[in-house]
Amino acid sequence: MQSAVRTVVWVTLYLFFVLAPLFALLAGQLPPARGFWTEFSAAIGYAGLAMMGLQFGLTARFRYVTEPWGEDVIYYFHRQLSLVAVGLVAVHALIMLAARPDLFVLPRTLGDVPWGASFAFLSLFAALALVVTSLWRAQLNIRYELWHLMHIALAVVAVAGGIAHMALWAFYLTDPWKRALWIGLAIFWIGLLLYVRLIKPLFVLRQPYRVAEVRKERGDSMTLVMQPDGHPGFRFRPGQFAWLTVWASPFKITGHPFSFSSSAEAADGRVEMTIRNLGDFTSRIGEIRAGERVYLDGPYGAFTIGNPADMHVLIAGGVGVTPMMSMIRTLADRGDKRPVVLLYGSKDWESIMFREELEALKARLDLKVVHVLPNPPAGWTGEKGYIDAAMFKRHLAPPYADHEYFICGPDVMMDAIEKALGELHVPMTKYHSERYSFV
Amino acid sequence: MRRLFANRLVFATAAIVILMSLVFALSRVAS
Repeated sequence: MQSAVRTVVWVTLYLFFVLAPLFALLAGQLPPARGFWTEFSAAIGYAGLAMMGLQFGLTARFRYVTEPWGEDVIYYFHRQLSLVAVGLVAVHALIMLAARPDLFVLPRTLGDVPWGASFAFLSLFAALALVVTSLWRAQLNIRYELWHLMHIALAVVAVAGGIAHMALWAFYLTDPWKRALWIGLAIFWIGLLLYVRLIKPLFVLRQPYRVAEVRKERGDSMTLVMQPDGHPGFRFRPGQFAWLTVWASPFKITGHPFSFSSSAEAADGRVEMTIRNLGDFTSRIGEIRAGERVYLDGPYGAFTIGNPADMHVLIAGGVGVTPMMSMIRTLADRGDKRPVVLLYGSKDWESIMFREELEALKARLDLKVVHVLPNPPAGWTGEKGYIDAAMFKRHLAPPYADHEYFICGPDVMMDAIEKALGELHVPMTKYHSERYSFV
Repeated sequence: MRRLFANRLVFATAAIVILMSLVFALSRVAS
């Protein structure tokens, strides 16, 4: 319920920051009104720009913003709202073109193009380039690190260009206070970017970690054990994650998000992340040596235990088991007596991460592990194929809506499980999911 | 399901913004 209230508060606040600067333009001295379509076009242009600016806030890693939703949903919002914002700005230009074609007549020389118009085109093209490079990054074969740099640069150009267009076109911004309000807003938006890229890394820089051990795991995975270096470390909740920076300072924008796999009850601030080789940055984890300095920006995420529940049902696919492992280890360390069921899908028997430790943990916890294999070995009598609603009915006791569910795995699996839980009439408040492919 | 909820929220946000932009334009031409 508390989370629902926070959701409403944040959505209201978001709409306020989009619409209040627009309606502030109606205060004080006003220029004569133009036609309906020109005024509507101007309004969606202002609102679209405000939404573009607020994107910096969505990705500024404010815990109070992300907690009611989960980081994966926040990034999903970021993407969807960006499309809406850029769409509004593009439609603003198209309506203007239709309603006021006289404004789009090219002058004799490029030098005669008003600065206000030049910045409008610059802003629009940067915004469109932002969308194209984000939606089709893989198809365009742009490296993640390069794309991230481009993404930030294009976003700054789009927003700063939009503000310059407004200020120089100056139809509504003739009043100095209105001009100050919108320029102040732009400074606030860019300030959010500076916060996450300069101020936050400064704090992270002051709290480094040392790699204590690099441990090989099943399923082409490695566990990084990290110890706080000269500070007590942070407390995290099982299921949460942090941005890991290796071989670089936290100012470099190449942090990668990974879930903690260790118990949240470790007294000495030691944390572990278990990372599967997926062919990208993760393929180099084995090159990290004990003693190396790394940086952690975290903890983040709403995918965590703590709500009242009669039992925990953990549903993991492949490397999605890492946050579940943190939950199981933590519950064991806390001496939790409630039943835990882990439905765990892996490629095959040999690649089951933490297989032996899960068996050992059964002695400390009321833990039931159900391995699900699409390629089972000969003589396998366990579950075959992929996790589905029928499996829930075989391994869980009703009423299904009383249990607390946690799901982490590939997108296809997550969609199927969420659908299956819906069929079992499990309310959305009772299940939590984290999509690890959110960036 | 969370995505469905998120999609609805995005849709509602876009609808409110467009609606309020209409209100803005109408208030301008009506005054």
